[in-house]
Amino acid sequence: MTERDPRFESSFMDDYFAEADEHLLAVRRCLLALDGVRAADVSSAVLEELFRSCHSLKGISAMVELREAELLAHHMESGLRAIRQGEVAPDAANLETLLAGANALEAVIVARRQGQVPPSEEATIAALRRLAISPAGTGTPVTATAPLDGPRGWRATFVPSAALVARGIKVDTIRARLLEVGKILSVTPNVQANGGIAFEFDIQTEDEAALAALSPDGVFYAPAGEPAAPVTAEAPASIDEPSSGPRAREVASAAPGNFVRVDLGRLDDLMRVAGDLVVTRSRLEDTLRRVERHVPAREFRLLQEHDSLMERQLRDLRDGIMRVRLVPVGEVFRRMPFVVRDLARDSGKRVQLEIAGQSTEIDKFLIERMMDPILHLVRNAVGHGIETVERRVAAGKPPDGTIRLSASTVGESVIIEIADDGAGIDLEAIAQRAPAKDMRTEDGALDARVLLDIICASGFSTRDEADRISGRGVGMDVVRGTVDELGGTLDVDTERGRGTTFTITLPLTLAVIDAIIAHVGDQTFAVPQSAIHEVIEVDPGGLRALERNELLTYRGRALPMVRLSRLFRINTTTRPRLHAIVVGTGLSAVGLLVDRVAGHREIVVKSIGDPLIHVEGVSGATELGDGRLVLILDVAALSRNVRERPRSGERASA
Amino acid sequence: MVRAALGNLTDVGFIEASSGLQAIETLAIHPVRMVVLDLNMPDMHGLDVLRFLRSHSQYRDLPVMVLTTRGDEASREEVFEAGASSYLTKPFSPSFLVSSVRQLLDPQPDRQTP
Amino acid sequence: MTDKSNSTEPAKTQTYILFGVAGTSYAVLSRQVQHMEMVEQVTPVPNAPPFVEGVVFSRGQIVPVINLRARFGFERARLNQRTRLLVVQHGTRSIGLLADEAREFLTIADTSIQPPGDAIGNLSGNYLDGVATLGERIVLILNIREVVESTPIAAA
Repeated sequence: MTERDPRFESSFMDDYFAEADEHLLAVRRCLLALDGVRAADVSSAVLEELFRSCHSLKGISAMVELREAELLAHHMESGLRAIRQGEVAPDAANLETLLAGANALEAVIVARRQGQVPPSEEATIAALRRLAISPAGTGTPVTATAPLDGPRGWRATFVPSAALVARGIKVDTIRARLLEVGKILSVTPNVQANGGIAFEFDIQTEDEAALAALSPDGVFYAPAGEPAAPVTAEAPASIDEPSSGPRAREVASAAPGNFVRVDLGRLDDLMRVAGDLVVTRSRLEDTLRRVERHVPAREFRLLQEHDSLMERQLRDLRDGIMRVRLVPVGEVFRRMPFVVRDLARDSGKRVQLEIAGQSTEIDKFLIERMMDPILHLVRNAVGHGIETVERRVAAGKPPDGTIRLSASTVGESVIIEIADDGAGIDLEAIAQRAPAKDMRTEDGALDARVLLDIICASGFSTRDEADRISGRGVGMDVVRGTVDELGGTLDVDTERGRGTTFTITLPLTLAVIDAIIAHVGDQTFAVPQSAIHEVIEVDPGGLRALERNELLTYRGRALPMVRLSRLFRINTTTRPRLHAIVVGTGLSAVGLLVDRVAGHREIVVKSIGDPLIHVEGVSGATELGDGRLVLILDVAALSRNVRERPRSGERASA
Repeated sequence: MVRAALGNLTDVGFIEASSGLQAIETLAIHPVRMVVLDLNMPDMHGLDVLRFLRSHSQYRDLPVMVLTTRGDEASREEVFEAGASSYLTKPFSPSFLVSSVRQLLDPQPDRQTP
Repeated sequence: MTDKSNSTEPAKTQTYILFGVAGTSYAVLSRQVQHMEMVEQVTPVPNAPPFVEGVVFSRGQIVPVINLRARFGFERARLNQRTRLLVVQHGTRSIGLLADEAREFLTIADTSIQPPGDAIGNLSGNYLDGVATLGERIVLILNIREVVESTPIAAA
């Protein structure tokens, strides 16, 4: 095995830096030479040298695998090519973009030289791309220049039609003609209100007659800045539309001005500051309480009012920042139709995908993490949920299967559902795989949590097994793991022959939550309020032991208890009364047994990332106002712990 | 080259466009069942054409296969993000192109996975 | 760690932070130490590995704390005024090392450091990068990765 010789590497890099410097110098020299020169007077020799230098930079950057530099150089090259070919004008704004590109290149190379992470130059790259390719996309022109002014600027609109094509007139034909007449600054395709397409050319020419001559070929023109109007009366039906084109475009270009690109890192910083403010205010409140008796009553009341006001304002600030991070769920849902279509074809099934609630907003961080899990569930719905056309027809179902992907906000949560009308999960087959588990409750209903436990256990099923048992395939452990990590819950409902629905509930906001503070022995924990159904007082004597569980009679049923002191191996003294925090509802209700519940407060959730402290049952930590660090309990994991307690003396899983 | 490969599909007609703008124009005039889109075009980058198409309801469901050269900076993710239905990297064998086009046009139950 | 066997190269020295655990001097490269602080209280994390004392809140971050006494097989001691937490960098992670006391900054020449060998009797030998002999003193150079990642040889 040959190792990379570090000495060879470093001299290689030295060569690169030296050569890059030379080319960068040339680039700057050229750009300087073009500065202030009118677009029409730009020397093609200078352009040529610029182009070559960028081309070289691209090549050598590729050789040393400095990808960011390669990319920048490539886009600069493309932009310069477009300028050389006359498609794009070397006007002040475009040169500005090129200069930004050169700066970015230099920054990236310098960073590499200093062993640092190269800065992200996305904005510059985007600008360079817009420069190189005629502004296109959704009909919003992105030319850096202001609308053409003066009598030399025109806007020519070409509306293609079958008739024109039959005559041999196509958009490229028109473009070629316009190029002969003058200089094309940009071309923008636009979809008109009636669904037809029009191409808008920003063109500079002195030859207005030539433009007029194009009108029989479907070209209408107007001085730049004015809405185009048909010059002659002859008209295919789509002539009405061009006037809406430029206006629509102007409206569209107004909109981008109302938006700002925000670096996600900066938002995170802001969130952190907001979170710190929450904690500081909390400490202030504590201090206030301590000094109450030293302060005259009226002043104290004022202090309290200010404190309350600050609490409200901080909450608004926090919510406001969170909302900046909210993006529509549609971002993720958008990809699904393609995935479904591909998968359906692969497996010979026919599947319709319905999407609802695309505008439901969710924190960007959450949606990025959820992309894979949702993809998994959708893929599984197609692969294992929906039956083949034959089976569906045989079962009296419509040949096309339906998968419904929906998102909605309910209170403080976002609910995402993936539902299919397929065969449902084959519970018998799953039961065979995990005989120790009982998926039915006392009254025969499906215990969804047990089912999920089984299918989400890592290593549960390989692909072909999943095919056989029509259960869900690989990846469910990742799905549940991610959902848990984000503080959410996963639920499933399935019926043989009817279909399966997976429901993911996620907290809307991530960082600050309401929590109940509880003491166990000398340790303190926080339990997220949203998971808590009720807090009850418990007489330890009233607990029944059944096999390895402790049960409490609660609202007519037996509520299993998780004794945190035992689970966490904390020494406690015997107390006459304990508290139980009831989490979950109905069949999945569990009581967390603690010594004492000490009240509730808002806490800033900090994640416990390090593997050393990654323990089941703990999902994060928070600093209480008084500087104490307190662990946040993972209610879902603790509840699972109860269900996983083996019966009849098997090895404990806790 | 693409034309040569696709010429073998006897039951499929195709219309060729030599630039991004022309591609958009062609789509406006001739309804098609799918598009094979090369990213490296002289006037518009293929992804921008694709984004333009996907942003309008009438082209949203149109199957689009994207052709790209290896080393083109448009990453697979970017390509799918822009709305591609399928993605092929040059160089590829003509028969591969043909079978992939078939997939998008009409699914066969027992096809091989690319 | 740099290769230090070539004696024709000029003597290379590096700066270390020295600290004490159960009477012995240990050292880590100062550039690996993010900061040092006094510590009054560590929040225990239930069911964590035995040498993990728990977590603390340090400079806005949750930092896991490894009790070096426990790690090296000594009995735990109470935290007092002299106890120090060294927050070190390990890849992208920040880990806190709990030491009885902090001693000094010291520059040590690479040539003064020998590989650990079998001479080290106690458990800490498994976590060492080297042994530095400075006149009369012996300072054990810690390998942070071993301290953080290796599974304990003997169950605590």
